[in-house]
Amino acid sequence: MSAAKKKGKGTEVLLQNLWYNNPIFIQVLGICSTLAVTNNLTNTAIMTLGVSFATAFSSLTLSGMNKLIPNKVRMIVQVLVISFYVIIIDIVLRAYLPDISRSLGPYVGLIITNCIIMGRAEGFARSNPPLLSFWDGLTSGLGYMGVLMLIAVVRELLGFGSLFGIPILTALLGDAFTPWTIMIMAPSAFFLVAMVIWASKTIQEKAKASKQAPAGGTK
Amino acid sequence: MKRDSMAYTVLFTFLVCVFFVFFLSLANESTKDRVASNRRLAERSAVLSAMGIPYTKDTIDTTYEKSVSTVKASTGELYRASVGGKNVYAQRFAGPGLWGTITIILAVDAPVEHLMGLQVVSQNETPGLGGRIDEPWFKTQFKDEKIGPQGIRVVQGSGKGDKDPNNSQVDAVTGASRTSQSMEALVNRGIDDFRKAKNEGVLQ
Repeated sequence: MSAAKKKGKGTEVLLQNLWYNNPIFIQVLGICSTLAVTNNLTNTAIMTLGVSFATAFSSLTLSGMNKLIPNKVRMIVQVLVISFYVIIIDIVLRAYLPDISRSLGPYVGLIITNCIIMGRAEGFARSNPPLLSFWDGLTSGLGYMGVLMLIAVVRELLGFGSLFGIPILTALLGDAFTPWTIMIMAPSAFFLVAMVIWASKTIQEKAKASKQAPAGGTK
Repeated sequence: MKRDSMAYTVLFTFLVCVFFVFFLSLANESTKDRVASNRRLAERSAVLSAMGIPYTKDTIDTTYEKSVSTVKASTGELYRASVGGKNVYAQRFAGPGLWGTITIILAVDAPVEHLMGLQVVSQNETPGLGGRIDEPWFKTQFKDEKIGPQGIRVVQGSGKGDKDPNNSQVDAVTGASRTSQSMEALVNRGIDDFRKAKNEGVLQ
């Protein structure tokens, strides 16, 4: 019974984090990095993987030691654990992927301030068991990743004419393609995030309305 | 001990810090050599590229040690190498960019009449705009460029790269005027330093 129940809960967490309660377009958290890194798919992929990793493991750790943490220093301990994992990511990148580390620059350190991680630690890991918290952190990261990759595809394609650094539009159109400079700069991410929020909310509202329609009768 | 008592809070915080910091130092210590060697290779390959000495990924250290030596001038330490029978000098320069410090390696010939090349060692400019100073089309513009009386000018051109090596000017990066101006200032400061070193008799 418990296994089946657990599986149900896991699926529920997955659906919530990827769609119904997505960190970007519903909770509107982690927007700073959405604006900063999404003009380049490679950086976006590494950054969002880093966030998923940090969220998953900090949720796991914090949930595991939840009963031991004194209330007064709860948030301080959360930040400590989050920074620990982020610095580990930074060290690994510097040692094994120096080129990526160079191009991400200060962004890796800034994962610490990503609101999603702290949000999951406070909102979920505090009141749930470690493994489920790990899963919640991981899927939150994936929900974040999905939206960021979508935005990065549009921005890199129109801003540079390439995907993952491989020329696409520039190769197809040659000099006829003019890069959209705005797409490289942060403001374009504002427009794109707004469009994602708009589209996803519209779809969710429609789904809700059609579910209620038979029961509610006239509208 | 009660979980919210003062003594427990202090003790717990202390122990948690010791625990996590221990593992961080461990990770840092065990990758220290690797990070240092990455940094050394990046710096050396930048020097070699700026001077126009060919190398492959595996031969950076051997090529560097074989061909590059250092000389001292009042303006700092210069790298010296012989390329195609002529002496070439390079030096590391750092200056302010739009967001942070830009560090470059600039190479010149002994009479300081031509730039031999430029490599960007580190920069924190806007990715996709100012960050494009690290792209090959921008850097190759400096190769064999004639140094004018006023140094090098970074001008608004086609934005695709200036092909003429005799006009003492290069194309700026489109949409990154401030970074382009910073590069101009940095390169010209470097040229001034090379001229000073030449007057001291260091460049031969």
